[in-house]
Amino acid sequence: MIRQISVMSGKGGAGKTSVTAALLNLLPQVVAVDADVNASNLPILLTAQKLSESGYYGTEVAQISTESCTACGRCAEICAFAAIRQDEQRKFLVTDDCEGCAACFWICPAQSISMIPHRAGTQYLSRLENGFLLHAELIPGEDNSGKLIANIRELARKVAAEEGLDLILIDGPPGTSCQAIASLTGVDMVLAVVEESLSGLSDYQRLAQLMARFRIPHLVLVNKTGVDPELGKQIETTVTACGGEIIGRIPFDLEIPRALSRRETLLALPAYRPLLENICTRLQTSS
Amino acid sequence: MIISIVSGKGGAGKTTIATSLAHILQADYYDLDVDAPNGEYFLQPENWQTETVFQPQPKIDKSLCNACGACARECRFNALYKLADRVYLNDSLCHSCNLCREVCPQGAISYKPAAIGSVRSGDSSRTGARAIIGDLRIGSTRATALIQRIVRQIDPQKPAVIDGPPGNSCTAVAAIKPAELVILVVEPTPFGIHDMLQTLKILKNLNKPLLIIANKSQDDGPLTAVLAEQGLTPAASIPLKIEHHKSLLAGEILSQSDPKIYRLLQQALTRKTGTE
Repeated sequence: MIRQISVMSGKGGAGKTSVTAALLNLLPQVVAVDADVNASNLPILLTAQKLSESGYYGTEVAQISTESCTACGRCAEICAFAAIRQDEQRKFLVTDDCEGCAACFWICPAQSISMIPHRAGTQYLSRLENGFLLHAELIPGEDNSGKLIANIRELARKVAAEEGLDLILIDGPPGTSCQAIASLTGVDMVLAVVEESLSGLSDYQRLAQLMARFRIPHLVLVNKTGVDPELGKQIETTVTACGGEIIGRIPFDLEIPRALSRRETLLALPAYRPLLENICTRLQTSS
Repeated sequence: MIISIVSGKGGAGKTTIATSLAHILQADYYDLDVDAPNGEYFLQPENWQTETVFQPQPKIDKSLCNACGACARECRFNALYKLADRVYLNDSLCHSCNLCREVCPQGAISYKPAAIGSVRSGDSSRTGARAIIGDLRIGSTRATALIQRIVRQIDPQKPAVIDGPPGNSCTAVAAIKPAELVILVVEPTPFGIHDMLQTLKILKNLNKPLLIIANKSQDDGPLTAVLAEQGLTPAASIPLKIEHHKSLLAGEILSQSDPKIYRLLQQALTRKTGTE
């Protein structure tokens, strides 16, 4: 059985990547996935050796052949994304708003529309000292990031199965929408990194609703704690009400952003090692 | 003037800067980080109004459907699937593209409105203007559709500040497109700089006037060097300070709690726009 764990937060900048990188350095064997495919920061903190890369093709996109087009306009009418417009010569063309649904391709009476492959990013497989890393770069502004996340997660499962590794640790994206959902489906557990702030609490509540929907159990690591004890208590109550368990707390400590700026993980600060070791043990054992 | 505040990296300070600018300019504030909106904790709007946002979605008439499976075969997003003698919709994959309706030989598919979220709005006494919050339904993947819908309602005659989503995908583009000025908030760390370079590619493609603000800065050196290669300089830099973190925890607008930040942001904006 391959165990999959996602590190999520709702709020950006809560500390997902800092925590994930430290855990990856402690785990004996692991396949890591950076699911934040359009702001991929995990590789910055890891020593990884690139093994292979491949193009990521999202959905195909529409292309209109102007020779056979009769300019009837049915394509522009049916397009739900307003991605078909006319140029100065009143010729119909497809803009980069195309989401590749193929409705125009289907409806065109002159059969002037074809669906063509469209590269939307690159996916990478790298070797870590204790396993492998899958990460990706979405071309900035591209659509279909959810599908790219599903792709690299599938590759991670393949690598894990082939190499006999039984743990996949996913550094998740912020938010609670398509990318977050693509990073959550089918995981065994979530480690939620919650920033002790009004925004952190609010976004955790959204994330908790999402996890409840998918019936995924979760542990909580509260980050940047100790500035407002009242808020700390409020987070505690909320986590309990949402069925989570607080596994640890990292205080608001300016040494942490300093270490990260030097591209060092939390392990560079010895005070946090016992906490991280404890989390590692829980991730490998608890269900 | 419409100003969009964006950042590739999450937690760089978009909401801090956006709420401060709404305060300084007495501008309407649009929270388009629709799956993690937080601006309301700082603007504290009152007299809420809520409007549900719908998006058309396929509905299969069971009495007409003969489960031929054509819709499931043709759907490019795998949003329809056939199990035994029935066709089902996975609405989190649906893009509302109209294809299945056209494909169905039985005419069994029609499009019916389905709620994807809401727009909540109220008056903020802290800015003297409106706060409009996009609120995506939990589990929905239609963030871009919700953002585009809210953007269409922006009055271009009034000053407006858009608080965008993090990242560099389609949702960020949707929040940038309406802007006449884009403010890119950068945490000057290896992570923030990496993500900023991705966002700069989007801004170049869209050809938007740009202002870069460093936030939570420990050292602007590496950021300034990377920007210089592109002929850019940061317009302002806000240091990493526990006082700022404290004022966020207290739900304060930074430009209100720290007059220095008010002046810093106002000056950066004035230099760029030549107004105010």
